[in-house]
Amino acid sequence: MSRRVILAGNGALYPEIANYLKLQGWMVYSVEESWQEREKIHAVLEIESGFNDDKRQLLIEVEKILPPDIPIFTSVLHRTATEIASWVRVPERIIGFSPLLLSEMEILEVSSPLQVRDQQKWAKFTTIWSEIGKQVEIVGDEPGLVFPRTLALLVNEATFALSERIANARDIDLAMKLGTNFPEGPLSWADQVGIDYIYAILTGLYREYGEDRYRPAPLLRKMIYAGYLGKEVGRGFYDYD
Amino acid sequence: MTNDTFHRLAIIGAGTMGLGIAEFLASVGYNVAIYESSSKAWKNNWSRLKHRLSKQVERGKLTTKEMKELCQRIHLVSSLSDLREMDLIIEAVVENIEVKKELFSQLSQIVSDTTILASNTSSLSITEIAAAAANPERVLGLHFFNPAVKMPLVEVIRGEVTELKWMEEVTQWIKEIGKEPVQVADSPGFLVNRVARPFHIESYRLISEGLADKAQVDRILRAAGFKMGPFELQDLIGIDINLAASVSVYRGFFAEPRFRPHYRQQRMMESGALGRKTGKGHFTYES
Repeated sequence: MSRRVILAGNGALYPEIANYLKLQGWMVYSVEESWQEREKIHAVLEIESGFNDDKRQLLIEVEKILPPDIPIFTSVLHRTATEIASWVRVPERIIGFSPLLLSEMEILEVSSPLQVRDQQKWAKFTTIWSEIGKQVEIVGDEPGLVFPRTLALLVNEATFALSERIANARDIDLAMKLGTNFPEGPLSWADQVGIDYIYAILTGLYREYGEDRYRPAPLLRKMIYAGYLGKEVGRGFYDYD
Repeated sequence: MTNDTFHRLAIIGAGTMGLGIAEFLASVGYNVAIYESSSKAWKNNWSRLKHRLSKQVERGKLTTKEMKELCQRIHLVSSLSDLREMDLIIEAVVENIEVKKELFSQLSQIVSDTTILASNTSSLSITEIAAAAANPERVLGLHFFNPAVKMPLVEVIRGEVTELKWMEEVTQWIKEIGKEPVQVADSPGFLVNRVARPFHIESYRLISEGLADKAQVDRILRAAGFKMGPFELQDLIGIDINLAASVSVYRGFFAEPRFRPHYRQQRMMESGALGRKTGKGHFTYES
């Protein structure tokens, strides 16, 4: 069945996710385009990181357009689904999800807000993903879920090692690929994903847990200031021509 | 294969790593002297190596002649004083700082002015080991990974006083013999053991907070491209080995919170569930 979905929010992942969903035969609308189709929409995917108030405003806007039984999948890289659900009128339709590697991974990680009482009814929202071959894993509701959280911590440690001049970037990546069989060196992986996404996950974890282990390496913050956000913009830990 | 700088090579300690490195060096054509203080350990490990090589001959991966030549290139020596003329000596004895310091002190009295002394330690300070030697500027770390014959990575570790010149020469030589060297400053866990810590420790936090179960964490991380999830990987490495690495990095950084091990690692070890080698770790295995 060809699903009609609203893809909302900004970020480097937007075109990749839009393309992927179209290739699966889904019809993808922006928030602006969705007014005419509002009765036919099956779900919303909202990928705003949540650094500022834009995410909240966007969700309030989307809720005005849609009937109350339409699920809203919202990126939980930086904030929990529970916090996000607290902003909206119908928290039971909020599903936290990770937009990272959405097109590549066979698994889609989702989390449920604390406000959801009827878990069975909530879980039914996730079944649309099996129509395009995704296996849904329901995990606990903390920023970054499982894979993004793991990746962000590996990148953070590699960044600390780089700033402490333990080794250069190329050697750090080479060592992690050859020494532990990582599919990608953490620094070049961060460049591909986007430094801003890695930073969003770390600051989200740091805010929720208040623990030093999630403190972002100062170099990551500097890269954000400098606009060295990774491959997408031509510069991150490496230069790209 | 020969190299002007490092031609006469020796290994100290014929355990898994020592003999593994010797086997690798012999496989690329070097003659390797090896010193092992326990004749029992030598007998056991040497016959295990020969057994493994003959399996390779059976499977057609090695000819009988190649096996014979490889074995002939590894010579057991009976005394440290036989290592006087060496260009490079790689130490791979037990991971005990006092043992290593004593050995480096002794060795540095025996060897020539130009011998490089390297330690294959995976967790001890190269600087501390070097300080026991008469010429600490000629001491560095050469951290091979297990199995040394197969694993391409070698961390070349620079102690506080290691001379850059020797770092460069050894790094170049490691490249020439077909391995991938990375230069690393002497710091806790060096590079791989340190940067890989979150992969292991965070997985314990995910499960103990009830955010996911073990099989789920493994499935998700495999789907993201990792060959193995953290729990199946820990079972392969050994729960005890992984805990020891965690504790060593944590202590080395003077209790930096990022490296704090998880008590559940400790409980696993206390229960004797050490991974594949005991048939039970995070998961159970049929023997």
